[in-house]
Amino acid sequence: MPRTRYDTVAIGLHWLIALGILALIAIGLTMTHMDLGPMAKFRVYQLHKSIGITVLSAALLRVLWRLTHRPPALPDAMPMLERRAAEGAHVALYAFLLFLPLTGWALVSASPFNIPTVLYGVIPWPHLPVLSALEDKAPVEHLLKIVHGRAAWLLIALVLVHAGAAFRHHFILRDGILRRMLPAIVRKA
Amino acid sequence: MLFKITLLSAMAFAAPALAADWAVQTDKSHLGFSGVQTGAPFKGSFGTWRAEISFDPAHPEAGHAKVTIDLASARTGDTQRDTALPQADWFDVKHFPQATFEAAGFTPKSGDAYEAAGKLTIRGVAKDVLLPFTLAVAGDSATAKGHLVLVRTVFGVGQGPWTSGEWVALDVGVDFDLVATKAGS
Repeated sequence: MPRTRYDTVAIGLHWLIALGILALIAIGLTMTHMDLGPMAKFRVYQLHKSIGITVLSAALLRVLWRLTHRPPALPDAMPMLERRAAEGAHVALYAFLLFLPLTGWALVSASPFNIPTVLYGVIPWPHLPVLSALEDKAPVEHLLKIVHGRAAWLLIALVLVHAGAAFRHHFILRDGILRRMLPAIVRKA
Repeated sequence: MLFKITLLSAMAFAAPALAADWAVQTDKSHLGFSGVQTGAPFKGSFGTWRAEISFDPAHPEAGHAKVTIDLASARTGDTQRDTALPQADWFDVKHFPQATFEAAGFTPKSGDAYEAAGKLTIRGVAKDVLLPFTLAVAGDSATAKGHLVLVRTVFGVGQGPWTSGEWVALDVGVDFDLVATKAGS
């Protein structure tokens, strides 16, 4: 019998990444658009880095899991165009889940501040090679900041499309697509 | 003749006593520093350092001190800060593994207070500093305590964006609490 739901690992990673992204968006917008004062600003940047690397690790696992574990099939009634759109959106999401943290890691590595990353204040995390050894870091960091910022807005758009589509399936089409990704506790409730 | 020999040997023994070398017990002593990062004060200490001190309370002006500090041994209890400190922007221990303080001649002030005019070298930058300290000698044991405020950027500690005090205050405190015993006693 084919699976009708995602497995526990896929569900766990999905929601971990979802929470991480929401936190990163909130923190990212706050730390770049609000005047926090030096101490809070420093702390939220460190937290953003910690969560970002967590999401990168979870996204890598998610992609590996996805490649080795077939997800449940889409409903038979789903039109071909929508299937393609769903597949394309997922590929784009995975790509951005990896690209965003990588550009963040790159810009931290290229920062003239050269602040060591210690995940959650506990686990030392290295800078990327080459970038951290640049003679003139400022222009590279500036460019990476723009890339990271623009890519973040694209990811926000993708997340909205993803969530919007899930809600459409759940509330309008009522085809159980969303329930396939819900943790068992929520599903029973 | 016998008297002469006795006198000579007494002088021979008296000579080092006059120089009054003190062996600093680093395990009982403390060499620390303090600063303010993003408004939050922090304290740290150096784990590896040594001090050669010769001091005779009767002749403080003839005293001499040399303190050599292994900068890579700086610890503040914060992994992030402790990782940054030895790097090129801060102590740059790869090029300047040690800081030194060398003073010749101590000036007695009121009571047990003294001042040591010396040269402090950090990151290869040597500056004249006046180090105030108090000294308590009890028999063969002595305790010296002092506090000094330095402007870190004078020595180039904090490069690039760190040359401003926006994130890390420019003023840094140095504290010491040395316990020494008279050498040879």
